[in-house]
Formats: sequence, structure tokens, C-alpha cells
Amino acid sequence: MTAPILAARGLSRRFGGLRATHSVDLDLYPGQILGVIGPNGAGKSTLINLLTGHLRPHAGTVLLDGHDVTGKRPWHIAQAGVARTFQIVKPFRGMTVADNVVVAGLYGARGPAGTTTGAPAGAVGGRRSGTGAARPRAGRRTLAAVRRDALETLERVGLADKAHLAPAELSVADARRLELAKALGLRPRVLLLDEVLAGLRPGEIGPALELIGSLRRDGLALLMVEHVMSAISAVCDQVLVLHQGEVLTTGEPTAVLSDQRVIAVYLGTRFNQSGSARRTPRGDSDPSSEQSGPAPLAEREEEPR
Amino acid sequence: MPTVDTAAPATGSPARPSEPGSVLRPPRWRRTTPWLLLVLAVVAGFGLQTQLYTGQERTASTILMFVSLAVAWNLIGGYAGYACFGQVGFFGLGGYTTAVLMTHARLSFWLALPASAVLVGVFAALIGAPLLRLRGHYFAVAMLGVAEGLREVVTNVPGLTGGGAGITVPTVDAGAPTRWLGNDGFYVLFLLLAGVLVGVGLLVSTSRAGYALRAINQDEDAAAAMGINTTVAKTMALAVSAALTGAVGAAYAFQQVTIYPERLFDVDITVLMVVMVMLGGAGTVIGPVIGAVAVAFASEWLRQHYPLVHTFLLGGLIIAAVILLPQGFTTYVHDAVRTRRFSPLANLRRYRL
Amino acid sequence: MARDHLMSQFLQATLYGLLQGGVFALVAVGFSLVWGVMNVVNLAHGAFVVAGAYLAFELHSWTGIDPFLSVPVVAVALFALGYLVQRYLVNLVINAPVFITLLLTFGLELVIVNGMIMLFTANYRSIPTGYATTSLALPGDVRLPLGRLIAALLAVGLTLALGYLMRHTRIGLAILATGMDRGAARLMGIKAAHVYALTFGLAVALAGIAGAAVGTIGTFSPADAGRFTLFSFVAAVLGGLGTMSGALYGGLLLGLAEAWGGQLLPGTLVNAVAFAVLVVVLAVRPQGLAGRSFYAARVEV
Repeated sequence: MTAPILAARGLSRRFGGLRATHSVDLDLYPGQILGVIGPNGAGKSTLINLLTGHLRPHAGTVLLDGHDVTGKRPWHIAQAGVARTFQIVKPFRGMTVADNVVVAGLYGARGPAGTTTGAPAGAVGGRRSGTGAARPRAGRRTLAAVRRDALETLERVGLADKAHLAPAELSVADARRLELAKALGLRPRVLLLDEVLAGLRPGEIGPALELIGSLRRDGLALLMVEHVMSAISAVCDQVLVLHQGEVLTTGEPTAVLSDQRVIAVYLGTRFNQSGSARRTPRGDSDPSSEQSGPAPLAEREEEPR
Repeated sequence: MPTVDTAAPATGSPARPSEPGSVLRPPRWRRTTPWLLLVLAVVAGFGLQTQLYTGQERTASTILMFVSLAVAWNLIGGYAGYACFGQVGFFGLGGYTTAVLMTHARLSFWLALPASAVLVGVFAALIGAPLLRLRGHYFAVAMLGVAEGLREVVTNVPGLTGGGAGITVPTVDAGAPTRWLGNDGFYVLFLLLAGVLVGVGLLVSTSRAGYALRAINQDEDAAAAMGINTTVAKTMALAVSAALTGAVGAAYAFQQVTIYPERLFDVDITVLMVVMVMLGGAGTVIGPVIGAVAVAFASEWLRQHYPLVHTFLLGGLIIAAVILLPQGFTTYVHDAVRTRRFSPLANLRRYRL
Repeated sequence: MARDHLMSQFLQATLYGLLQGGVFALVAVGFSLVWGVMNVVNLAHGAFVVAGAYLAFELHSWTGIDPFLSVPVVAVALFALGYLVQRYLVNLVINAPVFITLLLTFGLELVIVNGMIMLFTANYRSIPTGYATTSLALPGDVRLPLGRLIAALLAVGLTLALGYLMRHTRIGLAILATGMDRGAARLMGIKAAHVYALTFGLAVALAGIAGAAVGTIGTFSPADAGRFTLFSFVAAVLGGLGTMSGALYGGLLLGLAEAWGGQLLPGTLVNAVAFAVLVVVLAVRPQGLAGRSFYAARVEV
């Protein structure tokens, strides 16, 4: 297997006495999707914030192309080709949808137009070593070129007809699409998705997963934090389960999602033991679990809350 | 990161984009028209000068000065969204630098003005580095403290600044580094300054930096995730805004000849800048100009017609305007045209409890 | 001998600083409350302090009532004023960006201060009392002025009483709850518009009482409004926002800094002390020296 683009080793962060993440290891490879699951408060968003420099780890390292980028500021990480979405969408409200994506094009990774994979490998933080021939250093692009790319990106996520609207005029699903478009506008090599499917109707999830699949085919390394288990099992190559900030287990989706420890973490241990204990409303409405004990998580639409 | 955004509760109808038609590259006329209008306005300013008598010319100079100040404040307060309530500190520092350089170093005004701007810009960058990490009110209060502190320092080095008794720039005797420009001269100076500053505002609004500052204004985490170096962008915005304000202060000091700390560091000047930008339309090019002309004109008119109660009335005007036009005139008109709802009473429903 | 003199000077300055600081605490506590609960920086706060001083002055000159005895009247009058201002003015823009509430309260300050100048002129005055100039001699050649002692005791007592009110009464808890999470408080049946108005009324009433105290121990004029607002800023930031004890620590610290600065610094440089302290504290520890702010003060990125 090739070397990981983005890797974390022993990543830890506390908030006061709370261990939000503790000693997390992970590797992201081009063309692969790592799913990150775990109950609320397991440290999933903190993990993304640590990877992108929005939070500083108290221990551990983040490696990008094998270079240590721990403690680099978010803009360095972003310019080096690592894009992210926010769980609570953060559109730039004073701008049109199109201009939101233009911002990413103006400040993100610089490369030739028309590709989704972005910046050269190597140094972060201004010193660009570059990989030479494949990616000539394009420098700053004109606003016109950036605008053209932004429209292409919007078309790809299905927002082209809403490019002139204000972010506040978008539906929940479209706001998630914009969040994704902003990340793609950076033309990243690594994409960290924080619950991009949350709030989507069942009919909207399929197209979103198709888009994510196409990004994998383009060679992006993806990490997706998600509660929609069917989505995790459908697209992820590997799944990492966080519990109270620590990695509970990691592996193939089918294996992980039927792991008794994982089910226990999600539904409580009593459920695991007797197969008929405390249940969430959604669990109650699921007849299959009545008879045969805990269903594999992959069959559940949403995380029980 | 899990920032709890309690400072700005969700509002019923959030800000509209300033440029609905910018999906594709705007047509050439949309990019050149503002510059043509700017040149026309400056030319019209020269034309207007011939029609004014001395008192009016001085009032017009004051209005032009406030146009410059509002445009300068708009860079940090309007685009970047940092409520700089210490802007008058930069104004006073610029004015005093020029006065001291002209008095003690006998430096020509034409050298003292750019020197003051540079010095103020550097000073702003130095204090901005730690203070721009503060948010909202905290930044506003810290900058207010910086401005008040500057005034006290200037008051307490009488050897250099004349202290509370003021300093008088030599303007007429043989040793004067630059002769006083006269009412006509200062009108032209303030007109050109205003023209240059509006030009800077136009450049910023259409440039990469403008996008960065507007992004920072909305959400700094998201801006940083877009690859924007928020620290550098904010500090640059403050430094440029401060340098321009310092240049205006330099011109004002020379115009006044004798300057006092109370006047050059008067917190009311800061508030006037903020009022002008907010009422005209923050984060737009034309908004601060409209706001400055309207508020400065109203203030001067009240001062001349109701000298005893003019500040009282100005306060009432600010209250009414803030409640009826919280998003600013330019943005209000833009939204009204877009949504075909023209009643300003909609504003009352927007931000109330 | 000279050393004894220096020592007693230092002790005298410290005593003055603490007494003055107690009054600062009362000036600041309402400001801090409004900032902490509503995220409104009330630039008109100092104007309400001066308004309280004028009301006590007028009551004294009409009826001869002692300014400390007129405190309930001042409190009720200013509470009503504050309630109305919040309910029918500030509440209208409470959800607007920071600038808007800053500007609105600045407009209020202009109206109140200039209204007072029109009514009372800009001259300095003070409320004469029989005991203001009386002072007790303490050991070590230190004098304890009676008027200042009463003012400080009243101020500290009221500040502590407000702290108790906040934690142990229905209305206090409603105010704190609304400050922490308006949406959740509303779900609990708390009427935010009314609670906000009560909070502001309370803050203005305390400012007015502080004004009455200020009027007896020194001089005042409408021009002092801005100074009182700034003192409130500094004390609130020093102590940490929204906590009553924070305002007390902040006020005392500010009083001491001013008193010692007045001894050590030449000229009027003592005026810069408050600002210097303010800027340094904000840059180094924006959550204040004691406690935590209600609102995120810092950009994390």
C-alpha cells in the first residue's frame, strides 16, 4: 500500500478535565474513505479540529506527506491541500453562494485550473517545494479564472442554479452542499467531512454518496464523520470507532459494525446482554431488533440518541 | 472548534449578499463605472469650490475630512467587522506626529504627512498583534483604552507636545517648514485625500483582500479553513486603516495650526466615524461616503441652527437612525429593491426581542 | 522620620484607594451585570451615575434630606427610567450586531448628558453634608474620612446584596438563566423582554445610588459620565464579566491602582493607569482576574 497522505499518531487533547481525544492514530490514503463513528461526545469533531489546526493537540503529531505539521495554523494546513467541512455549517452570509466558493479558490491551494486535486506535496506554510512537472507553480490566479472554477464546483455539488442566492436562502440540504462546495473549492487532496449527511432526507443521501464516491475516484483521501450507518457501510473502506476520545476499534465496515463492543457503545451494555433492554424510540419502531437482539448497526438509518 | 456563538444570536432575516449579480465575471462597465464616478465626484468637488464662500468652504472641508475618516474606519470596522473604538487614537497620533515633526524637526508638511501615516500604521500593527485576538466588545474596549492612554501620554510629555496647553505648528514666520495652505488649499487637500481613500476602498472591495476580510467578518474559523491567514489579514486591515486615519489627522493638525489633546483624541470623533459607517452601510464602498456626508452635514447644520442643543439632538438622531436603519442605508436600499419591501418598519421586527 | 512619613502616606493612599474602590465597585456592578446577561456594553452607564448624583443633589436642596437617606427615592426613580429604556429602546435592537447596541447606548449618553447640561449647566458641584469633611484619626497618622467610609460601606454592602439576590431569589435566578441561555429560559416560562428590562432597571438603579454616593464624597458634573463608564469597563474586565464579586475585586483593584499611581506618577499620568491596566489585562487574560466571562472573548484560530 502507498504511504498515507495525512496521518495522526497519538493525537490527544483535553478540555479542562475532559479527555476529548486520547492517543488517536489514523491514516488517510488517496482514493480511500475512512469513516469515523462514535456516540455524541466521542471526540469526532475534536479529531477533525486537531487535524486541521483549528485546535492544538496536547500530545501527538499530525503528519502530512510524512512531514510534521503539528501545531501549524489552519490556513497552512488548508493551503497544503487539506479541506474540511464544519458540522454546523459556516457559510459567509454577506456573500452570494458563488462568492463563498470563490473565497476558497482565491486563498486555497494553487494549481492549474480544472482539477480537483490540489496543491503540490511537500512543505507547508509558504515554502512550496512542489513536485515539478506534474504541477507547475501556477501562482495567484485571476478572479475570472477562480469564478469559472467556482461555478464548476457548484455544478458538481448541484448548486449551479442557486449560485446567485444568499446562503440564508438555501435549504438545509443545499447549505450542506455549499459547505462541501467551499471545501472542494480549495481543490484539496484530503477532505475531512463532518456530518455532511446530517439533516438530509433519505432521497437526498443517495446523490450525496455518489458525489463522495466520485471524489474517491478522483484520488482524494477522505475522512467522514457520520451517524448514518448505512452510508458508512456503503462507501467507507475503513471505519474507526471513537469512544470517550479513544479508538475503540478500527477495520472493515462490515466487521466493525457488527462488533459487539461497538454495538454496546452505541446502545448500552444491557441491550447487548439481554437483547431487550432500554431502547430508543427508533429502536422500538424497528421490528427486527425485537426478535433477534441488536441489529447490525449498518441497518440503522440514524444513530440512536 | 466548538465555539459557542452566543454573541450573535440568529436573526430572522440575515444579511443579504452585496452583489447578487456576481455569479460570472461582472461586465466591464460594472468594474469601470465606480472609478469614473469617483473621478467625476472629485472634479465636481473642484467645481463646487468655486461656488462656496469661506464659511461654507470650511464646512465642506470638514465634511470631506469625515468622508475620509469613515472610509478608513470601514476597512477594519466594516469589512473585517472589528469594532475599533480607538480609531481617534490613530487620528490624534498622526496629527501630533506631524505637529511635532514640523515644530521640532522643521520637516516639510509634505514629508511629515506620509511619515505620520507610516508611523501610525506600524504602531497599529504592533498593538494589533495581541489585541486582534480579542473578539467583539473586548476588542472595542481594548482599543478605546489604547486611544485614551495615548491621549494621556501625549498630555504628559509637554516638552515634546506642549502638554494640555497644546502645540502650535509654525506656519507663517520665515522658519515655517511649510506655509499654511489657506482655506482653498485645505479644501483641495481634503478633497484629494477623500478621493484617494475612496479609491483605496474600491480597490479593497474588489480585491482578494476584500474577500478575505468579509470572510473573517462572518466566521474566522471558516475563513481560516479556506486558507486565509486571518492573523495577517486582520493586522494588515488595522494597519492600513490606522495609517490612512493618521494621514487625515496629520492634515487636520496642520489645518488647525494649534492642536490640543482634548480635541485630537476626542472619543466623539471615533463615534462619529462609527455612526457614519453604520448608517451609510458597513462593508460597502459608497455607504461610508453617504453616511459621512449625511451625518457631518446634519451635525454642522444642527450646530449652526441650534447651537445650544445640537449635541442633544444629534444623540436623538443617532438613536432613531440606529433603530430604524440598523443595517445601514445602502444595504437597506439594496434589500428593499431586491425584495420589493420598502417599509423601514421591517427593521423593527428584525433585531428586537 | 522621613520613612515614617512615607509609610503613613502609603497607608493613607491605600486606605483612600480601598474606599474609592468600594464606590467604583458599585459604579461597575450594574454595568457588569448588563454586559454579562445581555451582551450589551452600556455606554450610557456613566450618564446614569451622574443622573443619580443630580437627583440626590436636587432632593437635598429642596427638602434638605441627607443624600444617603434619599437613596431609596433615587433607586426607585432610576429603576423606572432604566426599565423603560430597556423595554422600549434597547430591546428593539438587542439581537443586532455589537456595533448597533454600542451606538444606541452612545446616542442615549449624548441625550442624557446634554439634557443634564441644559438643566443643570456643566458646572461642578457637590452635595454638602455635615460629616463629609469629618474624619477619624487612626494610628500611624492616617485619617479616615467619615463620608467616604459611609459611601464605601454602602457601596460594598449593596454589591454583596446584589450577589446574594442573584443567587438566592427567583428574579435573580431568572436573570442569570436568561443570561446563560435565552432560548432555554424562555422554555422555562421566563419572559425575556421583562427580565431584560428588570436587569437594566436594576443596573441603572445601582448606578444612581453610586451617583448619590459620589456626589457626597466629591464633585461631579455631566462631563464625568464618560469617566464613570470607563471605570466600569475597567473594573468589569478586571474582575471578570457578569459576576458581582468580580466587580467588587475589579473596583477595589482599580481604586488601589489609582491611589498608588497618584502617589508615584508625575502629572496627570495617573489617568492613564486605568487604561494601561485595562489593555494589559485584556491582552493577557481577557476572562478577567477572577472567574470566567459569559461570552467567548477570544478568537481561537
